[in-house]
Amino acid sequence: MDSFIQEIRDSLGDNDDFFFQQEKIGRASVILMGFISLIDLTRTKEALHANMDNWKPDRDDASSMMEAIGEVREMDLSEAITMFMDGKLIVFFESERILVLAEAYPSLLNRAVESPTNENVLQGAISSFIEDIDTNIGMVRKQIVSRHVKVRSFLAGSLCHKKLSLVYDESHADSKLVAKVIKQIESSSDKEINNLQNLTKALGLSAWSSVPKFNTTELPEEVAGALIKGRVILFIDRMPFGLILPNLIWDMFSLENDRNYPLPLMIVIRLLRVVGVLTTLIAPGLYVALVAVNPEVLRIELALTIAQSREGVPYPAIVEMIFMLIILELIIEASTRLPKSIGPTITMVGGIILGQAVVTAKLVSNLLIIILAATTISNSTVVGFQNSLAIRLFKYVIVIMSAMYGVLGLLAGLVLICAYLSSLSTFGISYLNISMNKGESGNG
Amino acid sequence: MRALKLLAAAMMVITLSGCWDNIDINHRVLPVVMGVSKHDGEYLIYLQIPEPMQNTTQIKIVKGKGSTINHAVDDISANLEDRVDLLHVKVIVLDKKYAEAGLEDTISDFMRGRDVSPKTLVTICDEDMDHFFSLVKKKMGPKGTTLYDFFEKNAGWNPQIALTRVWEVYRSIHSYTRDVAVPIIRSGDTTVVQHIGSAVIRKGKMVSQINSEETLLFNAFQRESTQGKIEVMHHASVLVIGNSLEVHSQMDGQTPILRCKLKLKVVILETKEHPTSDMIMKELNEGLTHQFNHMFARLQGSGADILGTGQYFRSKIPRSELKDWRTAFYPKLKLDLQVQTIIENTGFLELS
Repeated sequence: MDSFIQEIRDSLGDNDDFFFQQEKIGRASVILMGFISLIDLTRTKEALHANMDNWKPDRDDASSMMEAIGEVREMDLSEAITMFMDGKLIVFFESERILVLAEAYPSLLNRAVESPTNENVLQGAISSFIEDIDTNIGMVRKQIVSRHVKVRSFLAGSLCHKKLSLVYDESHADSKLVAKVIKQIESSSDKEINNLQNLTKALGLSAWSSVPKFNTTELPEEVAGALIKGRVILFIDRMPFGLILPNLIWDMFSLENDRNYPLPLMIVIRLLRVVGVLTTLIAPGLYVALVAVNPEVLRIELALTIAQSREGVPYPAIVEMIFMLIILELIIEASTRLPKSIGPTITMVGGIILGQAVVTAKLVSNLLIIILAATTISNSTVVGFQNSLAIRLFKYVIVIMSAMYGVLGLLAGLVLICAYLSSLSTFGISYLNISMNKGESGNG
Repeated sequence: MRALKLLAAAMMVITLSGCWDNIDINHRVLPVVMGVSKHDGEYLIYLQIPEPMQNTTQIKIVKGKGSTINHAVDDISANLEDRVDLLHVKVIVLDKKYAEAGLEDTISDFMRGRDVSPKTLVTICDEDMDHFFSLVKKKMGPKGTTLYDFFEKNAGWNPQIALTRVWEVYRSIHSYTRDVAVPIIRSGDTTVVQHIGSAVIRKGKMVSQINSEETLLFNAFQRESTQGKIEVMHHASVLVIGNSLEVHSQMDGQTPILRCKLKLKVVILETKEHPTSDMIMKELNEGLTHQFNHMFARLQGSGADILGTGQYFRSKIPRSELKDWRTAFYPKLKLDLQVQTIIENTGFLELS
């Protein structure tokens, strides 16, 4: 036995899914090596034999046979292990003592392309990304057929390897941005990337930013739209979505799919989302401000109605509001944790029973329930779940400011949020940038 | 270090905000109407408070006494279970006798203190306040805002009611050239309140009175929309649907002259004995001119410039002399009003 084979046996032999198999291909006796969990061995062998049967050699020697099987390669142990991990088959010719790297039939570990689970599409392409990075890039290539679309792939991590791909449209994307991103990825190629927090760190972005640095999407249509707008897209293997970089504020309100509607309807729908975000931010704060600090702003009829609905409520408005908001957040969190079949139960218990009971028990006022419903519903009009999380967090700032300074505090809270948003930037592009076409990114 | 600074700032926001002084809306008393009267140097304050009960609103009238208004309100607040919040006061009812004695102090106090909004309406009550409020309480519906609705433009306001706010009264006290008219009300026989005209306030003192129809002309002169008013004459009644005023001012030596043209757009509602439209127009023009001249003569006599005629001479009289407007110029003012009526339509029937 060759020493190389022995080395492989020493380092991988304790894996039960690693195989060494004696085989005869043509006249040569070989050893096949690989991971049975990554390779469909039966089909691979069939293919090898079929290949040999059809083989019409010019010269009848072993080396041309090896070339027909795969790539003849001198490799050291670690390189070979990387190849095994990548799902490759290595064929060892015993008599010649030569390693041949062969492509194998991979065993199917991916789900089929399905409709998106986190985003809803009305009137648009509904196939969504899957875990396999190559499939995802292929879907993008299908969506946007252009020779300007470039794909760069990287391997990140020193212990675990993770494949990253950068997709950009060189005719639209700012070449400086692309160069910056590539440089950043290459310089941190030794870092492990298992989640988006890792990726944020690897790209040298602040991990403490409440607004996500990436706009995640499951839809090839959105990715294609982003490419044309000059964004760059990152794909990570095993993550079923594309990361659009940089994330800008308008992404919260616009979907590429909106452009499938007539223009006036598109404008109205987007305005509706803006109204939704403002309602989420302002409504709870406004309630607290008007009820506790500045009731004089209300019309007298409304003031009397509110006073009447709060009759007998023991807590001040801010406690009442925070209490109900937290219960609501718990309901939302619970319904995402639960299996789909139990989800509706929670909605019913939370929404109807708790809502009704809490009012009957005079813990909170009727009006508060209306405000909460409006807040939660309008929060869901935001595009992208990651964006709605940020908005959900910001509304507490406004609630607390309003509880202290009333309507003035509400305004101060909005100014604070605006100031925070304008302080964010990704690779030198401000978050509040509206357009990101080539050459315009510096105008902020 | 940065985190420490942030923490310190956050702590200061909490400790310096004073948010523990905020009182929720259901722990505040929100009076809608405030009555002020003065007896033997002591202020008597009436507050009409709508009290939200289960499914309905009850009206409470509370009364306080004190040497100042604030003292009196404090007196009420101490005796009530909730804190009195005067910011929602929409109507201030002043005793007529008190108005005749002079309102300057009260109005200045309202303007100085922030607890009564300067937008609050001012009215004068032509009867004993105790009597007025007890009758109002008896007749008022469960809504509790009746008195306020009476003056509300999108509710019960009519063009023959003058609308004057606290800041306008305050302005008239300090302005050289402008006075105000304040509506006078009393409790009605079948309705909650009854409007009986407007008080003419000169420098914070009530000096004269004009009736409802004159107030309509006053409102028209103020370019207040008089839409909806039915003008009764010998031959017809009409609906005014639009009015505009053109004013031309001029000084003839020391005599100010004002030429005004009031344009009314009317719709005919009722006729008697088949008048022609020319007749109606002529009668309307003459009638209104006569009525106006009559009112103006009386106003000139009282020395109160509620029409704000002095405003048109601000650029023509030097400021040093302007302060004598009410005494030196206003009594000499020649006002020439032309009423021009346009009949927009005659309803579904034609006039000959």
